[in-house]
Amino acid sequence: MSLRAMVASIRVGWYREFNWTNPLTGFSLRTVGPLASVIAASTVYYVGSTNNVPPSFEPSRLAYILIGAALYAHVAAYSWVPTLAIAEGKWTYVFPQVYMSPHSSLPYLIGRTLASFVTSTMTVIVSLVLSFYVLSSVFHTNIPFMVNPLSVSLLFLAMLVNILAALGLGLLLSAYALFATKFEWALPTYVAGLLMVFSEALFPVSFLPWPLSAIANVLPFTEFMRASRQAMIQGGTVYSYFSYLGLAVLGGIVVLALGFLAFRYAENRARRLGVIDKKTA
Amino acid sequence: MKLHSNPWLRTAYARLWVRAKSIYGEPLWVAVNIGFPFFTSFSLTMVYRAYGLNSFTGFAILGGVMISFWGNVLWSMASQFNWDKQVGLFEIYITSPAPISAILVGMSLGGILGTAPSAAMVAILGWLIFHPPINAIWPAVISVFALTLASLYAMGMALSSLYLAYGREADSVNEALHEPVSLISGVYFPSTGGFSPFPLAVQAGASLIPLTLGMDALRRTLFFGQGFGELYLDLELLALAIMGVILLFASSKALMFLENKGRRTGTIAVRQR
Amino acid sequence: MLDQRLNDARKVPEDQPGLRNVMNRVDAEITVQVDGLRREFDSKEGKIVALDGINLQVRKGEIFGVLGPNGAGKTTMIRILSTLLLPTAGKAGVMGFDVEKEPEKIRAVINMASGAERAGYDFISARGNLWFFSQLYGIPTEEAHRRINELSDMLGLQSYLDRKFYALSTGYKQRVTLVRAFINDPKVVFLDEPTIGLDVMTALSIREYILKQAKEYGRTIILATHNMAEVDAICNRVAIIDKGKILACDTPAALKRSLGAPSLILEVSPIPTPGSLEPIGKLEGVKGFTSSVDEERGLSRIQVVIDGDGSAQSVVDSIRKSGMTVVSNWRQQATLEEVFVALVGRGFREREHEAA
Repeated sequence: MSLRAMVASIRVGWYREFNWTNPLTGFSLRTVGPLASVIAASTVYYVGSTNNVPPSFEPSRLAYILIGAALYAHVAAYSWVPTLAIAEGKWTYVFPQVYMSPHSSLPYLIGRTLASFVTSTMTVIVSLVLSFYVLSSVFHTNIPFMVNPLSVSLLFLAMLVNILAALGLGLLLSAYALFATKFEWALPTYVAGLLMVFSEALFPVSFLPWPLSAIANVLPFTEFMRASRQAMIQGGTVYSYFSYLGLAVLGGIVVLALGFLAFRYAENRARRLGVIDKKTA
Repeated sequence: MKLHSNPWLRTAYARLWVRAKSIYGEPLWVAVNIGFPFFTSFSLTMVYRAYGLNSFTGFAILGGVMISFWGNVLWSMASQFNWDKQVGLFEIYITSPAPISAILVGMSLGGILGTAPSAAMVAILGWLIFHPPINAIWPAVISVFALTLASLYAMGMALSSLYLAYGREADSVNEALHEPVSLISGVYFPSTGGFSPFPLAVQAGASLIPLTLGMDALRRTLFFGQGFGELYLDLELLALAIMGVILLFASSKALMFLENKGRRTGTIAVRQR
Repeated sequence: MLDQRLNDARKVPEDQPGLRNVMNRVDAEITVQVDGLRREFDSKEGKIVALDGINLQVRKGEIFGVLGPNGAGKTTMIRILSTLLLPTAGKAGVMGFDVEKEPEKIRAVINMASGAERAGYDFISARGNLWFFSQLYGIPTEEAHRRINELSDMLGLQSYLDRKFYALSTGYKQRVTLVRAFINDPKVVFLDEPTIGLDVMTALSIREYILKQAKEYGRTIILATHNMAEVDAICNRVAIIDKGKILACDTPAALKRSLGAPSLILEVSPIPTPGSLEPIGKLEGVKGFTSSVDEERGLSRIQVVIDGDGSAQSVVDSIRKSGMTVVSNWRQQATLEEVFVALVGRGFREREHEAA
């Protein structure tokens, strides 16, 4: 795998992340959406629970939703970057050129994903901090976050581990994008929506009916959410954190392996069908 | 009056047809469009339900329905001329004798028609899965819904002229506007009135967005059994109607201004890709 | 064979003597009138003059070529005439209407198409797209379909009309664009590089179509291009434009005749260093020159426009003096590029390099 190609792809990905505008504008535009969605999801709970009869507001649940919504936005933002790189690249003819150069398609997609991981990590940090302060002050409540060097390091570690699963998912989606000659955004959009339901982003997956809850329980994304909450919300334990993280690693490796296999299969099949350089509608 | 005798109607109908045909000609579009609004709405409904807030589940389902239209306004109305400009369609509109207002109205009606199936599917699925408590005055619901859409799409027309002044950033601006507007206008929860957790100043600011008043009025008629004659509801409807007219007027003036400015500066036909 | 058809198409049919009059008579209706047209653009480097006081008149039924290198001002002129851009100074009118004050009246009687444009809605068929565009002109549906069929027949598009726009090849998308450009029965049509990027056969059939539109329907066609062969093949008159100014305006034949002597072609070796050919341009009797490099053969081809046989020897001597060997030389009948070289002293390519 070409390191040089990957570094060049990270660089291109960085510019693309900011939509070719200056980093400050690009970053601001990128952050405002996730920030609003984190506040919106948290407010849904706040409005419902404080207006309930009798009121049932619990700050720990607010913290639960806040963390989940922020990390969901993070994963959703970068896991579909390989699809974006292929779909856009087919249109601009960048992807066929990358594909034709020796051993570059995977480093290219991984590089673009890593660039997006960096920017969306910055976004999630800003979203978490700002929404914490906005919600604390607007709702006049103490959100039981645990913020110390250890908890923040553990959160970062969980985010790094989750790259395995997110990249695997990205490659699975890009396998589809290689074939697609139209509606290339359809599957990633659906998967992003499904991820919101199945990754325990906003509510415990045990509330889903069986077998949906069972499927959600084995997803590495769910374990990642659980580990992150153990790290950041008061009451979490290091033991639980590492248990969930271990499961996230195992699941991540499986999804990544599936992603690689699917991508390799799709490459060959797409060449046979002649759609690698076919512009999408 | 026969359709062919009126160029304005003819243009509006043709633009409506193109938009609706693009969607209905590819049934998969409907399925594609349902995806994100449905899952978002599902998740937020589950938030209400998981934490024992069943009486509010209808808010999130209604939000899923209306967010489909807001998404359509943003991605297929506001930034449409910007995309048209990039592929050379906008200069065809300008060099033809067709009134730009007819194109905008056709685009809006086509957008509503094209979004209706996916919005309806979100409503039907939400109702079938969650059975939210409904206490509706249906004629009022229908009138409020129509008025909300009218002023929402009028806002889309006004935004479309603003977006023409933008270049490549239109996509980013769309992404940046989508969530904040749905937050502040209370798509999934009441952002104005007694239920709102927001300070009064924020509520007042939010009320300048047609979606805010529309969502509030829809909740009143759909879940709280309010109908015409209720003072607050009537005021909201009046405000929505006034906003719609102002936005229509503003969009037509802004487009005229931008066309003239574009002819002076030479930016009407500059393609960005 | 298609070339022959093009030549035939240029001839005015015997059974339409009226049309011959339209094309040849200087008192035929003036459809496009441009007086002292000037357009400036602001840029970081200051003002850029895209058009610098252009004057021209085009008549009904004429195919009027606007020939010049990239950046010469062709597209700016078309954008002004098609109401997309306002002039900084001067007047321009189409069908007697002022571009500045009466754009709505002009829009009803013109249409335009660009070779760079592939405008259409992807998920609608070619026919659906064309019907949509016809509605912008208020054409009744039945009449619109009649015109779509008629124009598509001329361009060989008929069997592709029901395909979705995204599924059409570049050539067929361009055909759709050209059907659109004539859908409203326009009096004046502006075409900006209509055959750019197309294969030879497609380009030829499009030229044949354009000729037919002018000849049989008496439409005025303003054709901006830097393709000399295209101008030679179909234009009644041509304006050669450079740096926003019209340098010459006449029929292609008259412009070529104006050069007098055939130009001199020399193949020299080794490949000249930059600037080493400059002395040629200063020789008496030399109107201009252009050069190209043949890497494979290791030599350079120089095309020199001279005003008489006497200058040929001094060109050869000058090259030898610069240390190069003249491998071969011959005389060649003038082309429009040589007309441009004679007027500007440089070829299109050099001009574009200079502009860049």
